[in-house]
Amino acid sequence: MNDGKLKIGKFEFNSRLIIGTGKYANFDIMKKAHEASGAEVVTVAIRRVNFNNKEENILEHIDKNKMTILPNTAGCYTAEEAIRTARLAKEVGLPKWVKLEVIGDQKTLMPDNEETLKAAKVLVKEGFTVLPYTNDDIVACKKFEGAGAAAVMPLGAPIGSGQGILNPNNIKIIIENAKVPIIVDAGVGTASDATIAMELGADGVLLNTGVALAKYPIRMAKAMKLAVESGRDAFLAGRIPKKLYASASSPVEGVVR
Amino acid sequence: MKMKLIINGKEKGLECEKVSDLLNKLRLNKDIVAVELNKSIVHRQNFDDTKLKDNDKLEIITVVGGG
Repeated sequence: MNDGKLKIGKFEFNSRLIIGTGKYANFDIMKKAHEASGAEVVTVAIRRVNFNNKEENILEHIDKNKMTILPNTAGCYTAEEAIRTARLAKEVGLPKWVKLEVIGDQKTLMPDNEETLKAAKVLVKEGFTVLPYTNDDIVACKKFEGAGAAAVMPLGAPIGSGQGILNPNNIKIIIENAKVPIIVDAGVGTASDATIAMELGADGVLLNTGVALAKYPIRMAKAMKLAVESGRDAFLAGRIPKKLYASASSPVEGVVR
Repeated sequence: MKMKLIINGKEKGLECEKVSDLLNKLRLNKDIVAVELNKSIVHRQNFDDTKLKDNDKLEIITVVGGG
């Protein structure tokens, strides 16, 4: 079956998996995990240069011929901080798009939709392709769509929690009503979580911890690749309706007695 | 002459005239950093002709791993 590309604003990708670059044991494992994942988009963070720790820069370990780098605004607690971070990311030479994340609570890392929306409006106006991270809430998602977001990224579960898709019904409702791509971001702990997101009709999945902190990250990256592809195919194939009672798969006539 | 600069929130005494001198002194590759001077972005093409003065506040950022 011909499945179209994932289109986010003017960006186009064959892979529907977006993978992070945080928390890996080392750059070598990260690079191999990225390869195994088949992802064409990797997220990065923007931070002050650390003068005490002059290790190699992560950019030397991302294959820029295969990967498009998506900067995030992780760690920002206000619209102003997030806007500043997005502008700086562009200034480093990264593509003019952003995973827009404004956090409202330290313990749960739940998004502050009010601040995120403020930042989204400013950045859209400045010509950024904006991908806001938000709750699994149809109202919030619609507001971001209305503000010009190129894709909306509701969470499956809290960041780094690995709890999976906690409210599949909410995700389904968001997907059914969206005019822009919906990418399930955060909470994916194992392959089946990614599959569930894709079976619900998500346009993509963004994850980091589930791979980076798996016992064998490279193998998990491969599992996630297959999981996203499986989920997408299952969604497009159209699942059978669930029935309460059995329905025999083999002919009921002609049984040897 | 040394001047006082506040770089990434920390005070440093450095001898440098322009943003590009500062990056050289700090041994930073200008291609993987972005610079804010007193909260305004300094574009890479202007590193060579942006002068620094005493008490300037700079943010020098780069790309790190993240999700």
